[in-house]
Amino acid sequence: MSKLKRLKLRSRAAALSLIGALSVSSISGAAAGTSDDGTFEWNGFIENATFARKGVGISKFRNTMQLEMSKEFNTGSFFSEFSLNMTLRATYDGVYDLNKSHFGRTAGGAINLQSTFSGAPSSVPHGGGIVSTGAFFFGFDRSKNPNDGLMVLGGNSHLTDGGVAFAVPVRPCDVDNRGCLAGYMDATLNGLRFSDFNDRLDFLRELYIDGNIPFDNGHELNIRLGRQQVVWGRTDLFRVLDVINPVDYSRHNIYDELEDIRIPQWILNMEYRMGAVGSFEDLNFNLVWNFDKFRPNSLGQGGTPYQILGAGGFFRGMKNCWDNGCTVANFAGLPVPGTTGLAATDFAPGSIGIRQVNLPKWKLSNTQIGFKVEGVKDGVGFSVNYLTYLSQLPSLRGGSVGPVAFNNFTGEKKQYPYLIAFDIDFPRIHLFGGSVDFYADSIKSVFRIETAFTTGEEFANTLRKELYSKSNVVRYVIGWDRDTFIPFLNKNKAFLFSAQLFGQHILDHELEETAGSKAGVPSFGRAGIPDWKDNWTMTFLMKGWYMQNRLSPQILAAYDFGARTAVVSPSIDWLISDSWRVIVAANFKFGRGAAKFDDCRSCNPWGPYTATPFHTNPLAAGSAGLKGFEPLGRFRAGPIGMASNEDEIQLTVRYRF
Amino acid sequence: MKKQITALIAGTILCVSAAFAQNADVVEKSFYPYKEGVPSYKGLKSGMVINQANVEQFKEILDESMYQFIKDGWTEMKITDTVAYELNSSYIAATKANLNKVTLGTKTGDIQGFVAGRPFPAEPNADDPRAGEKLAWNYKYGYNWGDSGAVYPFYWKFRDLNSAKIERTLKFNFHFLNLKHRVTDTPKPDLPRNPGNLFRAIYVQVLEPFDVKNTQLLIHRYEDDLKRDNAWLYLGFQRRVRRLSTGQITDSFLGSDLMIEDFEGYNGRISDMTWTYKGTKNILLPFYKHNDQKLTEDHKMSDGYKFVAYGGKGGCFPQVDWQLRKVYILEAKPVDPNHPISKRVHYVDAETFTLPRTVIYDRKGDLWKTFIIGQAHPDFHIAKNKGSGVSIDDSFMMLDVQGAHCTTGQFKGQLDSKLSPRKKFTVQNMRVTGK
Repeated sequence: MSKLKRLKLRSRAAALSLIGALSVSSISGAAAGTSDDGTFEWNGFIENATFARKGVGISKFRNTMQLEMSKEFNTGSFFSEFSLNMTLRATYDGVYDLNKSHFGRTAGGAINLQSTFSGAPSSVPHGGGIVSTGAFFFGFDRSKNPNDGLMVLGGNSHLTDGGVAFAVPVRPCDVDNRGCLAGYMDATLNGLRFSDFNDRLDFLRELYIDGNIPFDNGHELNIRLGRQQVVWGRTDLFRVLDVINPVDYSRHNIYDELEDIRIPQWILNMEYRMGAVGSFEDLNFNLVWNFDKFRPNSLGQGGTPYQILGAGGFFRGMKNCWDNGCTVANFAGLPVPGTTGLAATDFAPGSIGIRQVNLPKWKLSNTQIGFKVEGVKDGVGFSVNYLTYLSQLPSLRGGSVGPVAFNNFTGEKKQYPYLIAFDIDFPRIHLFGGSVDFYADSIKSVFRIETAFTTGEEFANTLRKELYSKSNVVRYVIGWDRDTFIPFLNKNKAFLFSAQLFGQHILDHELEETAGSKAGVPSFGRAGIPDWKDNWTMTFLMKGWYMQNRLSPQILAAYDFGARTAVVSPSIDWLISDSWRVIVAANFKFGRGAAKFDDCRSCNPWGPYTATPFHTNPLAAGSAGLKGFEPLGRFRAGPIGMASNEDEIQLTVRYRF
Repeated sequence: MKKQITALIAGTILCVSAAFAQNADVVEKSFYPYKEGVPSYKGLKSGMVINQANVEQFKEILDESMYQFIKDGWTEMKITDTVAYELNSSYIAATKANLNKVTLGTKTGDIQGFVAGRPFPAEPNADDPRAGEKLAWNYKYGYNWGDSGAVYPFYWKFRDLNSAKIERTLKFNFHFLNLKHRVTDTPKPDLPRNPGNLFRAIYVQVLEPFDVKNTQLLIHRYEDDLKRDNAWLYLGFQRRVRRLSTGQITDSFLGSDLMIEDFEGYNGRISDMTWTYKGTKNILLPFYKHNDQKLTEDHKMSDGYKFVAYGGKGGCFPQVDWQLRKVYILEAKPVDPNHPISKRVHYVDAETFTLPRTVIYDRKGDLWKTFIIGQAHPDFHIAKNKGSGVSIDDSFMMLDVQGAHCTTGQFKGQLDSKLSPRKKFTVQNMRVTGK
């Protein structure tokens, strides 16, 4: 039996044991409690979260059971305190069974792709490109890549509108393995249903020992070893310093509490606590060593309800293109007199797309380490942070450093500058940061500021022959909190107003006019890094409480200045009793939605065949600036804009025990 | 000439002796108000019950709210003998040692020369415009929980006054630590390594229920009363420490009927209020021997400790004995015009300087809340509290008469410095304890 199979079986067995244990606990009415000697505590909850999306139906039917336990031990004088802590979570998302035509076994179907070439039909089926088998080396085997179980790339958020599109397989990877990226985006139906049960034992949310070693001078060394979340920073929603654990965006895009979507890691977390020393009211030194095997953020996969930036679908479509070939909408300009537009084109396997994901293997040099000094001085809380870690977001390295690819005109295989053939990598990043919080009495407000400077991050860049470039980045969040009475809404209880401004500045940003944009052709634009050089996102929260805090309405809104999109999420949280809680919420997006950017159709990787009229030297590769929504417009639209059609109403019921 | 000098010296010695005697008398009167006898009132006897039938007879020795509650049949009051609560001898000794060294500065919140003990032990004088402020200082620097103490655990119940339904039960641990002006625990009077020059710290941890488990509150109160407290809240579900604004100090704490500023009767700065001494009186206050009270089996602890029982309207009223005691009536009006209340009226127990009764008025001046903090005698409580000389906060009721709602509190007060080590009172401890 292979190690992988053994691991999977072990995970399943653990899952069944956990479900059994939790079920027994709930059936027998066992409640939260503490042992007679007070050293063992346990509690937990059962929750159903049902979300419905406009035009789709149920988008989430997630059932969760979570059990938390801690046991304190008396270990004599060496450790002043010593405990073992564990959190188990079992999740079943029924959306893959209840709405299987959108997200499960029968999701997707046959698709047509736009073809603006005026000399042929305006759309063609997947595999039926205008340029196809018979033309040079174009075309692919439709029996291996049938027109079924597919969606059009970006079809959930925008029309193709003359841009790039291709097929995205959307069924679970055991039903249809096309486009599945091994070890990254390859969840089976059961893997999607029971997302906590996988080879990385995600049902084990936490398992760590925690001990304090006291010193004669009153200082203390805290050691926490095991699977855990380590939280840095002082801000909500945004992850400027809080980047030690990767996060699972597939659970509910950017909208779940980070507590629930941080992916626990095996970490040694040591903290030397000095307390009050010198002029500091509190001073502590922290060392974090994440020695777990690398884990990227979970971005969702093609066919799942939540995919931040639509990345899961894009990657799956691109992987399918590489493995099996694909029809790309509106790609080829054909030299047919009297015609206009671009023809849908069937690319052969191994020519464009994503070849593989290079997940860093476990070795000492791939572990991640951070240092933090944190304290309070003159009433101001502060931290100074450093972290070296592997990017949790993927970098697509292509073109001249991408995979050896197959030229559909010549049949030649080599690395082609500017060719949209990629491998996915996770570069090492160095983060230098800090944070402060303080209270401004004159305006009765608390300010929280967090900033980070990073080196080593990689961004898509259509000006580079590798189609990416590195850049230093500055990010920051300025948070403001104030409690304010609104007597006509509640004369007894203040409302919390909280606003945050998140800024991101890509210091080595590149964005240049192209031959096409200089010529003033509307469908052409600038080339370079699609992310905004300077962008800001504002969040605003207004939260009130009634009935002894048991009824809490709130409005949470966010606005992405670059994307010009907004999300508004009103909710009412009703704590019926100590055990029962109901949350009714909605999530509405407004604004521009999807955005266009240079899509590298005019990058001329296979000159002279792919040259445009703007390529004065038809053998010279480089973008002329033809733009569309896909694939890079997603970085301009941002996570709100790319989910602009995902308005939802949400009901969550939780029973605590 | 020689005779004149002798007479002068003798006169001076007599004056000094008289001053010493007078000073000693001030301290004696302050700490032993019942030495010459306990107060009495016509018809009031130990063991009797004041109820709807006889409340009019005792209206004069009831505060306005309690009178009304009994008159309306919301509660009854079981009477016991007045018993002296002698505070810790070290605190009394510190008062003597530092007598007459303390003065008020020009602004409310300014105090000079204070080392330890009760700063202003002299009887308040109605003609002294700052008499109220001096009483407030006596409370702030009172013996309260001693140099350190813990309520471990502490059950709060949110109750509907009309239906008596218990809506929420919260279980806490509360910890208190004096960093300055200490009189019993070494080092004293001040702890070393106190760069922020903090006077006191309070740390609160929520243990139950699950939705607020690990919520923690930390308050740092500076020695300089004009400097605003620092307060932080750790939210378990966010795993983050958040600094609190003053708005949150004067807002409902975790949905209860108390604001953080209400803790212990008043938990704020002297400079946040305008203090007025309104007179001295004998009234009935909830002072009792815990072990002699009606106790509940709810939350009974493994060591056999039982908590005070509740009854009366809505189950809001602690079922404890009351005794006739000397009080100073102290009015506190917020300096901040945006403060959610217009004033508090504290009934300050003259012997212990605790705040067993407080009545709170809303911004319009209408009665809003009424606060009872039951005071247990330390010698009739858990063994470790015996002889501590601390009047132990043992039960509370905060009743919102406008909202028809109350929050009750059941304490297990423990005078055990090991439960409140200094490291508990740091921001970092909140992160570590949280998860």
